[in-house]
Amino acid sequence: MLKVINDLLHNLPTGILITDKEQSVVFECDGLSAYRQLPLAVALPTNIEQIKTILTICRKYNTPIVTRGAGTGLSGGALPLEKGILLVLSKLNKILTIDPLQRIAEVEVGVRNIQISQAADCYNLYYAPDPSSQIACTIGGNVAENSGGVHCLKYGLTVNNVLAVKILTIEGELLEFNQSQQGIDLLALINGSEGLLGIIIEVTVKLLPKPPKAQLIMAGFADIVECANAVTNIIEQGIIPAGLEMMDKFAIEAAEAFVKIGYPLDAEALLLCELDGDETQVRVDIEKVSQILKAAQATSITVSTNEKHRLDLWQGRKSAFPAIGRLSPDYYCMDGTIPRNKLAEVLAKMAELSEIYNLRVANVFHAGDGNLHPLILYDANKEGELEKTEEFGQKILELCIEVGGTITGEHGVGVEKLDSMCSQFTAPELETFHGIKKVFDQQELLNPGKAVPTLNRCAELGKMHVHNNQLPFPELERF
Amino acid sequence: MLNLLSEQIKDSKEPLQIVGRESKLKTSTNKKLSIADYQGIVSYQASELVITVKAGTSLQELQQVLASKNQMLSFEPPDYGNSSIGGTYACALSGSAQAFRGSLRDFVLGIKIINGEGKILSFGGQMMKNVAGYDVARLLVGSKGSLAVIAEMSFKVLPKVTEATYSIEMLEDDAIILMNKWAATALPLSACAYYQGKFYYRLFGKHDKQQAEEVDNKIWQTLNPFQTTEKEFLWRASVPSTTKKIANTVAIDCCGNRRWIVSEHKPDLAYVEKWEKGLAISKSVKHPAQIKIEQGLKKVFDPHGVYHNKL
Repeated sequence: MLKVINDLLHNLPTGILITDKEQSVVFECDGLSAYRQLPLAVALPTNIEQIKTILTICRKYNTPIVTRGAGTGLSGGALPLEKGILLVLSKLNKILTIDPLQRIAEVEVGVRNIQISQAADCYNLYYAPDPSSQIACTIGGNVAENSGGVHCLKYGLTVNNVLAVKILTIEGELLEFNQSQQGIDLLALINGSEGLLGIIIEVTVKLLPKPPKAQLIMAGFADIVECANAVTNIIEQGIIPAGLEMMDKFAIEAAEAFVKIGYPLDAEALLLCELDGDETQVRVDIEKVSQILKAAQATSITVSTNEKHRLDLWQGRKSAFPAIGRLSPDYYCMDGTIPRNKLAEVLAKMAELSEIYNLRVANVFHAGDGNLHPLILYDANKEGELEKTEEFGQKILELCIEVGGTITGEHGVGVEKLDSMCSQFTAPELETFHGIKKVFDQQELLNPGKAVPTLNRCAELGKMHVHNNQLPFPELERF
Repeated sequence: MLNLLSEQIKDSKEPLQIVGRESKLKTSTNKKLSIADYQGIVSYQASELVITVKAGTSLQELQQVLASKNQMLSFEPPDYGNSSIGGTYACALSGSAQAFRGSLRDFVLGIKIINGEGKILSFGGQMMKNVAGYDVARLLVGSKGSLAVIAEMSFKVLPKVTEATYSIEMLEDDAIILMNKWAATALPLSACAYYQGKFYYRLFGKHDKQQAEEVDNKIWQTLNPFQTTEKEFLWRASVPSTTKKIANTVAIDCCGNRRWIVSEHKPDLAYVEKWEKGLAISKSVKHPAQIKIEQGLKKVFDPHGVYHNKL
C-alpha cells in the first residue's frame, strides 16, 4: 500500500479514512456525473485536528487534496483526482451560534444551506441565498462556488451574505478573513475560489428578517422581445423584484404538461415576477408591475391570490428541468450570463443554431440578472449527437462572451469550463490567477487542475449530461 | 491614456505614488502617478443596473449621471471634497447604509487595472452573476494603490429611493439594542445611528407615521464622512453591532457596526484604526500567515515593487 495511505491510516482514528473501492464509489463524481474518478482514498474527518493531520501528511508526500461538501456542484469542481485524497467535510455540521439580535449565524462548513434558515426560523430570520440544491448543498460548497439562486437580484450572491470565513491554509494555519479587516478583501477572494486556495472550516453568515409578504405576478407574451422589454421596464421603473424569471414557449409547454397549473399555452414567452416586503409595499409594487405588463402588451396576467397559489405558480418554473427531460432521452444544461438587453439577439441566434444543428433547445432564464440556462435536447444513443450537442453548447458560450457576457453565472468553472476560460481571459490575466493560487498553495496541492486552465493546455470541455432524465441528485429541484 | 500610464509604469526608475484627486490625507512625497485626468463614464445602461466609470471621475459627477436616470450608488460613498470613485474604491469607503444595502465591494462587478509591469488587465465584467476566475475585482477593494492602478470599475447600481430620517432622544445602550432589534423586523430601514444623545434612523418607501421627530436627511452627511474638530485622535472601530457603549465614542453608525471614538490612546478593540481625512493611518494586528499571503499577492500584482504604497 502507498506510504501516504499508511501514514494517514496510522495517524487518523479508525473509520475516518475510506480506502475501500466499494465504499469510495459514491464519491467518484459531483453533480456533473459525466466525469467520474475514484480517488486514492476518501477522508471524512470529524474535527479540525484531523484535517490538520491530513494536510501535514499530504504535504509530506506531495499528495493533492480535493475538498468537497455534499457534492451537488454542477461543474466537476469536486471531481476526485486519481492520485489524490478526497476530503469530505460533511461531518463538520454543527451550527455554532445563532445570534438573533446581531442577525448572524456561525456555522461549520458542512452545515446544509437550508439548515441555517430552519435554525433561524424561530426568530423570523433566514439566510437569503437559495441555490436550487439548497436542501442538500453545504455552506462550505456555497462559499467555494459563490452560489446564486432565484433571489440574487434583490438579495445578492453568497459573497454578499457572508461576513467571515475561517480557513485552514495548506500549511495548517487557521485564518479568519472578515469584513472588519482593513486592506485588500481576502474574504471576497475566498468566495468562488473553488477549493483552490484553502480549506474552509467555518462560515459566519448574515441573517435577514423574513419578508412578511410575497406575491407572484405571472404574465404571458405573444413575443419574446416584448417579454424582455417588460423586464427592462420593470427595472427602469425602480422596482427590484425578489425573483424575475422568464421561460420560452418550449419551456412553458413542457412545464405545463408536467405540472398542469394553468400556464398560458398560447404564449411565446412567460414572465414570473415575485415581489416581497411589507404589505403596503407589495400592494403598491404589484399594482405598478401590472400596469407595466399591460403597457408591454402582456396577453395574460395572473396575480397569486394566496401563498398556495404563489407556490403553485412557481412549481412550473421549478420543474422546468425535469419537465424538459421527459421530452428527450438526454439534455444538456448551459449556464451563461448576458447583458439583459442582448437577450432578443442571443435567443434569435440560438434559434438559428438550433436549426443548423437540428437540435431543439428550451430556454429558462434568470431574467433579473441575465443568467441564461439553455437546455439542449439530444439523444446520446444516436451516433455523433453528443459531439454535435457539445459543439452547439460551445457556440452558445462563445455567443455569451461575444455580447459581453460570461461563461458561467453560477455553476462555476470546475473541470467543465476550463476551455471557455481561455476564451474569456487573456494570458496575463490567467497568469495572475495562477500567481494567486501559488501564494496560497506553493506546492499546488489544493484541487489542482480545476477552475483555471494552464496556459498551454485547455482541457477538454464537458457538460452537465442528463441521461433518461436522471440527474445525479434526482430528489433535488434544479432551476 | 491608459497606454501612456502603462509606459510610465514600465519606465519608472523610482517607486510611484498612485494619486487621484487628492481629496484625502496625503501621506507620501514620492513621485506621483496621477489618474485624476482619466475621467468620464465608459458606459451606462440604466435598465441593466450597471455603470462603468473611469477612476478619476468625481463622485459628484458620477452621482449626477445616475440621478438623471433616477438611480444611485447604494453604498453611499463619503465625499471628502471632490473625491474620485477610484480613490473611494482604493480606500474601500462606504457609508451609513452598508449594514442594510451592503458596502462598496458588494456592488463591484468588474475592474480594469494596470499591474506593476504595466499590463492592462480586466477581471469580472458587467454581469450581476459571474463566477469565472478568482474575484480579483473585489479582492483589490481597499488595496490603496499598493497592487495596481485601478483604471475602470463597473458597479451595480440601484433605483433611487425616497427616504425620511427620524430621531429620538435616548441613552446610548438603549439605542444600540433598539437599532439591532428593528433591523430584525420588516421595517424598511436604510440607516441607523446614534449621535449626540439621539438615535437616528432612516426609512425608505412608504411607511406609517413614526413616533419620532422627522429631521433633515443631511444628518447622514455629518456622519459620513465623519470628521471631528476635537484635538485628540479619531479612531474608527468595526465591532459586532450589539457591542455596548464604548468609552469616548462620539458617534455610532452602520447600525452599531461602526464606532467613531476620540481618544489619545488606541482603544483596546480587535479592529480599530486611527483615522484622518478619509484614510486609516494605523492598522489592526493581523495573523503572520495572513501578512505573508498579502505580501505574496503584492508580488503577484507588482513584482518589482513599482507602487510605493504598502498593504
